[in-house]
Amino acid sequence: MTKTQRSLQIRHVDGGSCNGCEQELAALTGPDYDMQQFGLDIVASPRHADALLATGPVTDTMATAVERVWDAVAAPKLRIAFGDCAAGCGVFQHAYASHGGLDDPDLVIPGCPPDPKAVIQVLRQWLKANALPS
Amino acid sequence: MNNTPWSQANQALKESHYELLCLTATADDTITATWLNPADGSQQSLNVPVIDQHFPSLTPTLLEVAWDEREIHDLFGYLPEGHPDLRPLVRTPRWPERFFPLKNASVDPPPWRALEPDNPAVTVQGEGVTIMKVGPSHAGIIESGHFIFSLIGENVLHLDAHLFQNHRGVEAQLEGLTVSEVAPLISRLCAADTVSHQTNWALAVESLSDFEASQTLEWRRIVLLESERILSHLNDLAQIPAGVGFQVAHQRALAIKEYWQRGLLLIYGHRFLFDTVKPGWAHPGSAEDMIALLDAMAPKWKAWRALVEGHHGFQDRMEGVGIVQPIDAVHFGAQGVAARAAGKAFDARTVLPWYRSFDLQPSISLAGDVKARFSVRLNELDESFRLVEQACTLLRQKGNLLAGNDLTQGASGRVITFTESPHGLNVHDVVLNAGHVTRYHVRAGTYRNWPLLAKTVAGNTVADFPLINKSFELCYSCNDR
Ligand code: SF4
Repeated sequence: MTKTQRSLQIRHVDGGSCNGCEQELAALTGPDYDMQQFGLDIVASPRHADALLATGPVTDTMATAVERVWDAVAAPKLRIAFGDCAAGCGVFQHAYASHGGLDDPDLVIPGCPPDPKAVIQVLRQWLKANALPS
Repeated sequence: MNNTPWSQANQALKESHYELLCLTATADDTITATWLNPADGSQQSLNVPVIDQHFPSLTPTLLEVAWDEREIHDLFGYLPEGHPDLRPLVRTPRWPERFFPLKNASVDPPPWRALEPDNPAVTVQGEGVTIMKVGPSHAGIIESGHFIFSLIGENVLHLDAHLFQNHRGVEAQLEGLTVSEVAPLISRLCAADTVSHQTNWALAVESLSDFEASQTLEWRRIVLLESERILSHLNDLAQIPAGVGFQVAHQRALAIKEYWQRGLLLIYGHRFLFDTVKPGWAHPGSAEDMIALLDAMAPKWKAWRALVEGHHGFQDRMEGVGIVQPIDAVHFGAQGVAARAAGKAFDARTVLPWYRSFDLQPSISLAGDVKARFSVRLNELDESFRLVEQACTLLRQKGNLLAGNDLTQGASGRVITFTESPHGLNVHDVVLNAGHVTRYHVRAGTYRNWPLLAKTVAGNTVADFPLINKSFELCYSCNDR
């Protein structure tokens, strides 16, 4: 994998979000933002993915599932914390069943929820500047 | 067990067509059922004490509280005696045995056990039966839930829906917070019903502070609540064609939703209307800009409605699928679109006094299928456009009354508030002590519809599940909390 990587296939997991982050992800794949035109897409299987994208503060019940999905993504791969909750600065991070966000993210996309335009910018910039961590 | 005075009293209210607002446990060993008289909006509360950690279960005679009582069992350790199915609902095998977060004082993260979070599922046994497990993480962009299907061939025999994968522990987190600390959390309980949750919280503090809302404030809230309904219904309507591969309708609906959200961002500063209602306050927005937005939306919306209503293949695909029987809508205490599409006429807006002068026309269907839920949503969306316009016109004409200030002072007492969220009757049971939360219970619109969805899916083919599921379009976040 080199710096000329042009696309990023993303597997999404909801780690206890309020669904605001999910709705913005759906908007990104819709006609107005059409993230696919930039080589960015949400894919159905972690086997097809280059990245795990988690939303929400990662509840205890979802923590195992999040890590299992991560394990199923082939390296080199990327961990993305999407939204303030996953980034560890959301309002629910101190709830008892919350793990306070995604552990060790490679890329953090802040916002509550993140603005779709900004998401595309951040992901494209990241693709230009970085190769996937192995 | 079924003949306790407690169950008889609740039964009597149900038979008199009262609507159960919530069944709430409090740490002082009391269970409270609060009912709404839909004829006059009055509330009636009944109590039963918890003795030696036990209380009599209502479930054998009042099916709709089956989940409430399991949740109380999980979070308080109070045992509903006579409950037919006390499997864990919220807690998982990872929870330490004596950890009851709403009963024990400490709400620090407990030492989770190194076990799988899966609870035992109910499945059908027998020759030719296959078990299909879906979730908790999904192939699409949806919230987390774990669904265990028992199938025979293509047909669903039974669906056991294991929700609460998104349980964060919000009710416990709210305890101890001050009035001004609560608002941002309540605003983020669920992006699909946020204004409804924010309004419930505002109404609670206002009622305990003897604050009298001006008409300006009430109209602003109606604009916000109905704008949220438009947003959520557009989202939910977009998903139904997606469930059957009708991509044109799906994508066009997403585009209309996006147009609406950009308008909301301009007028209210947020694409989902977070932080727009607080105790004593509502975002003023701009009635002129909102009316302009409505005018710009109208042709887009009408064209889309004509597209989906004129598409016979799509209409046929929805007909007769996922039928909710009217009797089930009553027994399960169904709410919102799912209930109104199966003949249960209740809409909380009809009992809220500030809606009274708007002459709301609830949309009802008797068919109970996907098509009925789809068309009830279409009608409700048009009705919400009308309400927003009417409220904005009033605001333009005489909306210059003082709309109040942020209330942050130290109120005390208990109050139960409700609004009609896009997903149905949404109830908050709030106890404050000198401006601090001592108990906060949220009974979201989807809570009673989830068990009904599971019942409805049985008897349909598994390929119909996405369609039926999307026609209910139940959110998980405020259900799981
Ligand atoms: S970051 Fe905001 S929008 Fe995203 S899940 Fe958390 S509360 Fe919801």
